[in-house]
Amino acid sequence: MNDGPDPPPGGAGHAFWQSLDELAQSPDFLRRLEQRFPDEYARLAELAASIDRRRFLQLTAATLALSGLAACGPAPIAGLVIPYVDQPEDTVPGKVRLFASALTRDGLATGILARQIMARPINIEGNPDHPASLGASDAIMQATVLDLYDPDRSKWVIDNGEVSSADALVTALVNRMPQLGKTQGEGLRVLTRASSSPTLSAQFAALTRLYPRLRRHHWHGGWRDNLREASRRAFGRVVAAVPKLDKADIILAVDSDLLNEAPGHLAHARAFARRRRELASGGRGNRLYAIESTPTVTGANADHRFVVAAAQMEPVLRALAAHIGIGPREWAGGAAPSWLPAVAADLAQHKGRALVHVGPYQSVSLHLLGHAINAGLGAFGQTLEFLEPPELDTSDEISSLSSLVADMHKGEVDTLLILGGNPAFTAPPDLGFDEALKRVKFSLHLATHVNETTRLCRWHLPRAQELERWSDARAFDGTATIVQPQIEPLYGGWSEHELLAVLGGAVRPQGHDIVQATWQGEAKRRGIADFATFWREAVRAGVVPGTRSPAAPVTLSPNIISEISATGQTDPPALSVLFRPDPWLRDGRYANNGWLQELPRPLTKLTWDNAVLVAPALAKERGLANEDVVAVETEAGRVKGPVWVMPGQAADAVTVLVGFGRRVVGRVGAGTGFDGFPLRSSNTLTEAPLRRLAKTDQKWPLATTQVHQHIHDPLHPGDILRFGTVEELRRNPDMFKGQSPQDSLYPAWPYPRYAWAMAINLSSCIGCASCTMACAAENNIPVVGKDQVLRDREMHWIRVDRYYRGDENAPTETLFQPVPCMHCEDAPCEVVCPVEATMHDHDGLNVMVYNRCVGTRFCSNNCPYKVRRFNWINYTKRDPRLDLAWNPDLTVRARGVMEKCTYCIQRIREAEITADREGRRVRDGEVRTACQAACPTEAIVFGDQNDAHSAVRKRKDSPLDYGMLEGLNTKPRTTYEARITNPNPALAEG
Amino acid sequence: MAGATDISEVIAPDETFASMTDEVSSIILRPHRRIGWWIGFGIGFALTVLLATALAALSAIGIGIWGDNIPVAWGFAIANYIWWTDIATGGALISALFLLTRSEWRTAIHRIAETMMLFATAAGGLMPIFHLGRYWYAYWLFPYTNVMGAWPQFRSPLHWDFVALIAFVASIVLFWYIALIPDLATLRDRASGRIVRVLYGLFALGWQGSSRQWRHFRITYWTFAGLMTAEVVAAHSVVGLDFAAGMTPGWHSTFLPPYFVIGAALTALAFILLLIIPVRWGYPLATMITLRHVDVLAKLLLTSSLFMAYCYWIEAFMPFYGGVPADIWTINASFYGTYSFAYWGKIALNAILPQLLWFRPVRRCEPAVFAIALGVVIGMWLEYFLLIVGSLNRGYMSSRWFIYVPSFWDWATVAGTVGLFVAGLFLFLRFVPTLPMFEMRELIQRYRHKGDAA
Amino acid sequence: MAAVFGPSANLAMKLVLIVGALGLLLLYFGPWIFTRIDYSTGVQWAYPQPVPFSHRHHVGGDGIDCRYCHTTVEVAASAGFPPTHVCMTCHSQIWSNARMLEPVRLSLAEGKPLHWRRLNRLPDYVFFDHSIHVAKGVGCTTCHGDVNEMPLVWRGATLSMSWCIDCHRNPAPALRPKNEVFNPNWHRTAKTPSGQALMAEYKIDPARLFDCSVCHR
Repeated sequence: MNDGPDPPPGGAGHAFWQSLDELAQSPDFLRRLEQRFPDEYARLAELAASIDRRRFLQLTAATLALSGLAACGPAPIAGLVIPYVDQPEDTVPGKVRLFASALTRDGLATGILARQIMARPINIEGNPDHPASLGASDAIMQATVLDLYDPDRSKWVIDNGEVSSADALVTALVNRMPQLGKTQGEGLRVLTRASSSPTLSAQFAALTRLYPRLRRHHWHGGWRDNLREASRRAFGRVVAAVPKLDKADIILAVDSDLLNEAPGHLAHARAFARRRRELASGGRGNRLYAIESTPTVTGANADHRFVVAAAQMEPVLRALAAHIGIGPREWAGGAAPSWLPAVAADLAQHKGRALVHVGPYQSVSLHLLGHAINAGLGAFGQTLEFLEPPELDTSDEISSLSSLVADMHKGEVDTLLILGGNPAFTAPPDLGFDEALKRVKFSLHLATHVNETTRLCRWHLPRAQELERWSDARAFDGTATIVQPQIEPLYGGWSEHELLAVLGGAVRPQGHDIVQATWQGEAKRRGIADFATFWREAVRAGVVPGTRSPAAPVTLSPNIISEISATGQTDPPALSVLFRPDPWLRDGRYANNGWLQELPRPLTKLTWDNAVLVAPALAKERGLANEDVVAVETEAGRVKGPVWVMPGQAADAVTVLVGFGRRVVGRVGAGTGFDGFPLRSSNTLTEAPLRRLAKTDQKWPLATTQVHQHIHDPLHPGDILRFGTVEELRRNPDMFKGQSPQDSLYPAWPYPRYAWAMAINLSSCIGCASCTMACAAENNIPVVGKDQVLRDREMHWIRVDRYYRGDENAPTETLFQPVPCMHCEDAPCEVVCPVEATMHDHDGLNVMVYNRCVGTRFCSNNCPYKVRRFNWINYTKRDPRLDLAWNPDLTVRARGVMEKCTYCIQRIREAEITADREGRRVRDGEVRTACQAACPTEAIVFGDQNDAHSAVRKRKDSPLDYGMLEGLNTKPRTTYEARITNPNPALAEG
Repeated sequence: MAGATDISEVIAPDETFASMTDEVSSIILRPHRRIGWWIGFGIGFALTVLLATALAALSAIGIGIWGDNIPVAWGFAIANYIWWTDIATGGALISALFLLTRSEWRTAIHRIAETMMLFATAAGGLMPIFHLGRYWYAYWLFPYTNVMGAWPQFRSPLHWDFVALIAFVASIVLFWYIALIPDLATLRDRASGRIVRVLYGLFALGWQGSSRQWRHFRITYWTFAGLMTAEVVAAHSVVGLDFAAGMTPGWHSTFLPPYFVIGAALTALAFILLLIIPVRWGYPLATMITLRHVDVLAKLLLTSSLFMAYCYWIEAFMPFYGGVPADIWTINASFYGTYSFAYWGKIALNAILPQLLWFRPVRRCEPAVFAIALGVVIGMWLEYFLLIVGSLNRGYMSSRWFIYVPSFWDWATVAGTVGLFVAGLFLFLRFVPTLPMFEMRELIQRYRHKGDAA
Repeated sequence: MAAVFGPSANLAMKLVLIVGALGLLLLYFGPWIFTRIDYSTGVQWAYPQPVPFSHRHHVGGDGIDCRYCHTTVEVAASAGFPPTHVCMTCHSQIWSNARMLEPVRLSLAEGKPLHWRRLNRLPDYVFFDHSIHVAKGVGCTTCHGDVNEMPLVWRGATLSMSWCIDCHRNPAPALRPKNEVFNPNWHRTAKTPSGQALMAEYKIDPARLFDCSVCHR
């Protein structure tokens, strides 16, 4: 069984960075290397030469700023001071600076501000001016930083498995060009992932002029094909349907993860939560229904979540349509569950303010139904707007890929450029992509990591990572962002633009110039005279003004109803398998990212593994328990994986999370989980009939961070997690009032200056875990590995507890609660420490002095909230990330010391010192903790509760505010606002 | 008359100064090969090596090699610590207290009791040090002036414990050594080889048995006994406070200090029985450590077991009386939970099994007494295991309820400390008089006179 | 049987006990003393540098302001260390071919930075901020010693934690009028406002300065 990141052989992660340093300094290092790997020596030498002065100085300066790992005491002579030779004008060593850019997910951009220290991106924050971010960021965006500093990234150009050089590759490519020119690019193919880059499309346009026969294919896993097909049939073409949750009073999510996965999910979550918070203040608020056969984060946040058998999805939605008055009467017949009329009525009553959203994995007919219902509810133009699609290519992915593979088999493809991605891993096996690829004479794979596809290609070219390259991308609503590099490519990687430019005949192309050229064209079209300013401003702001997609005029096809009846599925299978990308690893491209591997999945709380999700009822019937290995078989293939009994899963469907089980991957991803892709075939990409589900006698330990047996109500909800409905609140506004703290023998401690405090709104929290990831990124939290998580030793400072209520087959409620350190004013941890390693400061922070800690661990035993974390072994040393990745603003913890949430004290101190220098108080909002900054729903607020006007003060004055376990009289500084739900009175239980 | 029978029981009537001194000192000065000794010492030594390995691994990797986790941040190490200090304090208590009460039966066994306390402390003292995440900074618990300008926190029970432990170690070492001086002198004078005489001579600190030395000796010895009695009660109560001062459900309770002291007496009595019974078998001392001793100790064991039973009743009653939910889950968890085996184990072994000792025949049957004593010793270990792990794995947050599974190294550490104790004990038997000869002489003397009087 | 020890043994034993007692004392006071002497604190110990840069000449003699080289001292945690260019602003004109300055010219020519030996270094878990100290009227020489007297620079103070907190407990004596902060020759005179007055003016609250979290994160 894998055990997460192994100790790097001689600290490989750390060794590479050192070697960069040494490369530039000691030739002796190169000599040693030459003896050991002659061929890599050449590449390394080139790399060393390629390090220009500026970059070298950035790196050395970075080492200077890097507060290192060894906790050494002061010595008379402590190392070296290495200043710049020529210090760039505006650099202030050790100061944090923000640079705008964008990260893409499924080809669509989310704006970011990268926090840089000494020319190193340390972590990611959302760009408030970007429509897809609004200042928030999700776990995957946070983790991109670790991807950048992943020591397992591909470093060398590979030619037939031999280390080669970029020049050799370029020569080889250029030599083919005359002949390609002759045949007008016959047999020249390019395979891309989903993309929305204007530059890329411009480049393709140019290339097609050069090679008219050039053909472009795209493959991103085929997850969204049904959605596009439905759009074609309903509106005659593919348009982007953008839900407007700020306008929606009643939302019906049909197996849709609107809040956590859909394009623009951060913005949707923000709008949803804003409406949600209205409820507490007597506003209209909103109501969310979810019908789904496998749990999603959105479903977990629904006021009513209905488990519907996978086979019943379509009949049920038809019945719903019928009840609203759409489609033929006979739809209403058949299986109409008891709740359906009420929901239909509720939707119908809110015409123009209701919205139905169907998840991408559902069948074409379900999407058509969704459009029909939305049309019937008058959602178009109100709660749903249609835009021109931002994607480069909206054609059917699977047909695009299969046509490519077919041609490869026929030998019609002789030059194939694969720009990123890992089709050999994700392509349905029935296409036989691997064999086909072997038949291509000149195949080139451009990727940041060596993966399954690399092994089958002639050439491999290291790709510049998202934070290393110039590019551009569009958001879900079309808004364009110019992607600027945050650091020079660590391994001399190339961007796809540079590679294509070579094909276009450019010599030594520079990403910057290519992207700029595109926008020069754009500027010309718009008649902007002063391009320099336009460009600088666009790059600085991270948003190009006026690029939002225009609205797409749509008319619903008149014969949609017959379309639906026509496409409707016939005799559904008794049992089916649902394929879903893992919430964090997606299609497997983050498999080597330790942060994401170890970040608990929002609902299962699993780490380091995927699983076959089985409904409790089905598990009972088949005698399955967690960690039992089962064989799952479809007509496409057969895989083995561990079972996870999933509350709220439909009994007629098992869910297989794909993205794990990578075969060619770095040391972190090696041996994690199982590969579910072999179960898919080209016509069953999201759902397939289940042939066999057989229990084997094997067991596979699964590392989960929350024990599963306490699945029902938290033991005494009143003390830990308080919740209620709007109705209850209206009847008794003080229902959540906490006990006032009892008298203490000692006088209360005054906090005259600042009183830092946090408020967490449980109605807003959707459990997406962005806070956990942002905290890990900001606070140097090490990756501990599966073996340690199995021993309940994960290190995350803020955890998101998940509780269920009601029957485990259909829980009535799923509750999330982020739990950081409470910074109690009467902290139980402080009095028991024999060496005063944990103390209170004058602003009420419960501070942890790592260097004083001897590791008695009594503080943790005495902490009622169990938020303290201990370095049982030297996790930092075991962690494979490059030294560059550590945040120099706070201590990197040594073995044997306790640690915990500090309210991001490094940010507080920075702000206080600045304010103090300027002789003023810290302004509200000047200090934002990492978790607060990341939170898409503004659930977390931090600030000075002494300041009557501060946001946190306002939250704490709310009648919903309570302290967790306040009966213990710990006087927590972190408090919660009770969770308010808005169930439909007509469906009131009992 | 009663007196006469007493003599025949505390010490065989035909024992004289000479015979007694011969028998005791011959064990050391004229050793005939004892295969038993070598086996015993061998086992002890082997286990000590295991302990050394465990601690080496610990130093190399960190306490992560143990099963501890969050929430259960303390595991076997602390259970061992309490258990061993139990034995040590109990040993000291018995030796000192019954010196003050002038109990005859104490004479023959107090040296064994004290030696037990000595090595138990050695074994137990390692634990709180090595369980620290960074044990090389353990000295930070000691208040000394440093360039950090930092001091220990005097509010912390762990600091009190540290101080108590240091005071305890210092006093028991002195108490044990002082009581040893006259006998070391005897050995010096009886030994044949020059080297042996010089060695014992050095340790005898020039004892000549002059009346002046005897006077000083008496004053010191008795004063110490007085101090020790108070000291050990205080020391072990403080160990109890470590827990009582924490707010963890199952710890936060004022009855822990006395509970610990009672536990100490119980454990120590059981342990002494575990030691003297084999010694009676293995050495020609049956005439001096008699069945009377076994009988008396057995009675005391029964008594303290009754005390313990009372504590258990309080322990089970209080949560329900107090009505704090968390306390109630914790006690319920010990009734029915993962670690209920430990709970019922301690009840059976510490409270129920010893009730057999009501019956005289059982008290006089050495194997039976030995078995019961062994049961109690194990039961007490289970008690401390449950106190720590059972309480920590069920805290206030149901979302953080995790169980504790000891690793190989946890077991190795337990076995290792036992080994250290056993090895030390066998060395003691070999090089130090098992019985206090000078006090035995007094005893014999006293009974002579009684005899004359009769 | 003859005694193995003569009367002299008593004396010997007493001596042994005395020596043992002294040994124990040394065990405590040995480290106590060692950690406080210049050899281990590095105070007053100068070390050879790639270029024998003399603060006495540049600061004491030429009267160059500290901020000319340590540019970021007022705005950042780090005081900043002069890049080679700063040296060359003058030394491209004067002493432009002194052998002593060869390494500097080389550094500029090859674009390789000078490697100075670091004298003042705090452990990685201590987060010191120059800017705030300067802003609150703590003079350079207060911690770095009379730099203007140092031919080769050495540590001005032990930089031990107790040294830091002595001042954090009672900052008054270390405070100067703001305009004197960078003056190496400044001395408290009769008309300088008292430390207490300055503390009030700068709004310094010693209680808060004593928080662990002021330096440790």
